[in-house]
Amino acid sequence: MPTPSFDEAAFNGLFHECSRDVHAYAISLLGDRAAAEDVTALAFERLYRSRRRLDRRRGTARAWLFAIARNAALDELRRRRRQPSVELEGERLGDPGSDEAFERVEQRATVRQALASLSLRERELVLLKFHGQLSHAELAKVLAISESNAGTRLHRALAHLREQCLELDRQEVA
Amino acid sequence: MRIVHFPTAHDDDGAEQAWLQQLESALDGDAQGPAAESWRELRDDVRSLAPAMSADFERELSERILERDRARVPRKLRLTRPSRPAIATAFSVAVVALVALVAVAPWRGGHAPEAEPAQHVSSGALVRAPSATATPTPTPKGSAQAAGEASPAGAAVAPSSNGPAAALGRIQQLGASVTLAVTPANVQETSNRVSRLVVRDGGFVQSSHVQVQQGRGGEATLTLRLPSEKLSAALASLEQIAPVREESQSLQDITNTYDAARQRLRDVEAERQALLRALAKATTEGEIDSLRERLAQSRGALAGAHSALEVVSRRASTAEVEVTVLGDAHAAGEGLTLHRGLHDAGRVLTVTLVVLLIAAAALVPLALLLLGLTAAVRVWRRRRREQVLGTS
Repeated sequence: MPTPSFDEAAFNGLFHECSRDVHAYAISLLGDRAAAEDVTALAFERLYRSRRRLDRRRGTARAWLFAIARNAALDELRRRRRQPSVELEGERLGDPGSDEAFERVEQRATVRQALASLSLRERELVLLKFHGQLSHAELAKVLAISESNAGTRLHRALAHLREQCLELDRQEVA
Repeated sequence: MRIVHFPTAHDDDGAEQAWLQQLESALDGDAQGPAAESWRELRDDVRSLAPAMSADFERELSERILERDRARVPRKLRLTRPSRPAIATAFSVAVVALVALVAVAPWRGGHAPEAEPAQHVSSGALVRAPSATATPTPTPKGSAQAAGEASPAGAAVAPSSNGPAAALGRIQQLGASVTLAVTPANVQETSNRVSRLVVRDGGFVQSSHVQVQQGRGGEATLTLRLPSEKLSAALASLEQIAPVREESQSLQDITNTYDAARQRLRDVEAERQALLRALAKATTEGEIDSLRERLAQSRGALAGAHSALEVVSRRASTAEVEVTVLGDAHAAGEGLTLHRGLHDAGRVLTVTLVVLLIAAAALVPLALLLLGLTAAVRVWRRRRREQVLGTS
């Protein structure tokens, strides 16, 4: 059943709330700013066109948006037939001189490295979870799989991420 | 040395659900403690790795969104999607309107009773109207009754707009032919009703022939004679008995015939008066005998003239109506009654359902095929997308 509440105002609200997250997800997955911008614009365009078909009983508008963005990003990846280059931005900290800030920089560098070492499927899942800020149920909707399956995949991806971080830590210590 | 704070994950599947709950609570900010803090820290780390959206693109995207809002069809012209109850109501109204339309459809067989009276010659059309210049002439005894009480050159003619043309001061003979359509089982009953009707209106059945064949229809032919002034009322009554499939009316001007008969009567009467006067003046035996013989002859001529005038007057005062009652299995749907209206509505609905059924027979497989193809395309596209993720 179409949701009459998802009108222009709701769309604009979702745009202001999620546009940066969609862009962050796309650029993290594609590693290409221009492609990420295309995907972001395309996602909102498609969402706008399909807003009357949005059924909130089958998921939130946010999940719907990220499902569209994910499809657009994967299409972009398939079209380019190449793996994304992970060109994630360096740390932006106000006071890199402090110990705490230095530790954060180091920690994020480790996370970035661990993330890059994940398979694309796992990385995509982590990015979707953290950039999309989706619940497990929403994640399942976006991936078009069952909730338990989504939970299992997420569990494995985060476990793998943890292992990679620990491994990188050990290498650093050694 | 740097330390990556990272929450532990349970390895056994049984604890996976609890682990996911912990993760969800931590990310939502509901849970506290080092583990929850670590999840939030990891999320922030991952999120901070993404390059920020450029200000130019953000502005451009915002402008595009706003631009689209402005470029949309003006709100007052935008059609709102009707709700399901509204659609159901509209559908119901359409069905009721369709049934009502069928019930009063003007294209149906027969004639609408409301429209019919205009097609009949009014009752006064059969009697002679005195024109302003007409010289009243005495009507022969006997012919006055035959021509109707209003007939002795006294009543006006009122021609109808649609019926046969009548003229003032003219003597006209009206006739009509009506074909009624009834079900085969009702041929006899309808004939009887027609007979009763004409008797009620002061007429009589001149002849009738009823042929009923069991299960194969039937037909009745009745020749009616009724007062001309009752013709239109009788025709209207016939329509109430059964649907009129065919109707025609005729008008014949018999003024000349009437005048000739009347003149003949006058002449004979004048001759007789002259003979009587001559007889009164006769003096010889031979002359008296000759005049009496001629008077005897004139009596016969006078009776003949009276009779001729009476026949003409009767033609003017009575209308002949040929009624044919056809037994037709399809006649049940004709006419304008609630029962027939409902019957027609049922037929329309049946035909509609048949059409829908035929359409469905053709469209449903097509729709299923399209649905299958659509689903297949979706699965294929999804797999192709997922294959991209699996290539790493």
